[in-house]
Amino acid sequence: MKENGPVVRLKNGKFKIDLADDHRQLLTQLIEQLRDSLTTTTDDSNLRRLFPTAYHNDAKKDAEYQRLMRDELLESRLAAIDIAISVLATDDEITGEQIDSFSRSINSLRLVLGTTLDIAESDYDIPRDIPRDIPRDIPRDSPQSENSESDEASEDDEYLIQKELYEYLGWLLEWTVSAQSSGL
Amino acid sequence: MSEFTFASSQPGQVQEVDLADETKSDRPWIVIVWNDPINLMSYVTFVFQKLFGYSLKKATELMLDVHHKGRAVVSSGSRERAEFDVYRLHEHGLWATMEHESL
Repeated sequence: MKENGPVVRLKNGKFKIDLADDHRQLLTQLIEQLRDSLTTTTDDSNLRRLFPTAYHNDAKKDAEYQRLMRDELLESRLAAIDIAISVLATDDEITGEQIDSFSRSINSLRLVLGTTLDIAESDYDIPRDIPRDIPRDIPRDSPQSENSESDEASEDDEYLIQKELYEYLGWLLEWTVSAQSSGL
Repeated sequence: MSEFTFASSQPGQVQEVDLADETKSDRPWIVIVWNDPINLMSYVTFVFQKLFGYSLKKATELMLDVHHKGRAVVSSGSRERAEFDVYRLHEHGLWATMEHESL
């Protein structure tokens, strides 16, 4: 297994993220999209995993809990996202708190993407030692192809790209957790 | 409320006394983490260690309970404490809920 992954814990207790610029850009773009969804959407079922029920057998208590805590949970997610974006913008060493926000944000992305993809139990574990790369053919800021004659094919492509992205995020999170765990 | 709710049988002079809540109040609340197909096993284990200070062994056992049995009780205590733990687990994207411990 490769000794050093994309996230390592340094001897001084801080962390270093070693990702190529295009990976950083893609992750930043995805996290910004998540922030936009969280701040502009109120009823997106793909975000439901980010705001779970607290009282599973008491709807009244849960409604009260959500009334009090949902905004706080949203603020916490947005604060973590801001830190994750700043972490991706620097090559500097980062603190335990920063890596925590980074891993929570990557996990939030996985939860939303996994919900979108309707991920099943068989995909639960992702081997860390298989090198992963970001999908290369993700359209970035470019308009959709004008060729609309193969809608079905492009839907399949979109699914495969998202699945590849999901696996990439799992791989990155595995390494992040591994680095964090080594500090416990 | 599905259990032992006593109410006057006379409409108009209803004084509901929810004995369920009264008798439940002495029992602790338990925090349950449910299995889900998305969260990584390593991440779940790490979150248990980080939030509750559990050893790697204990955190791994709990994670495996979640994975194989579908759920595991990860903490218990007062209602406030349980809500706090549920909130922190939600912050980390885990599927956590709480309920009164069964008799």
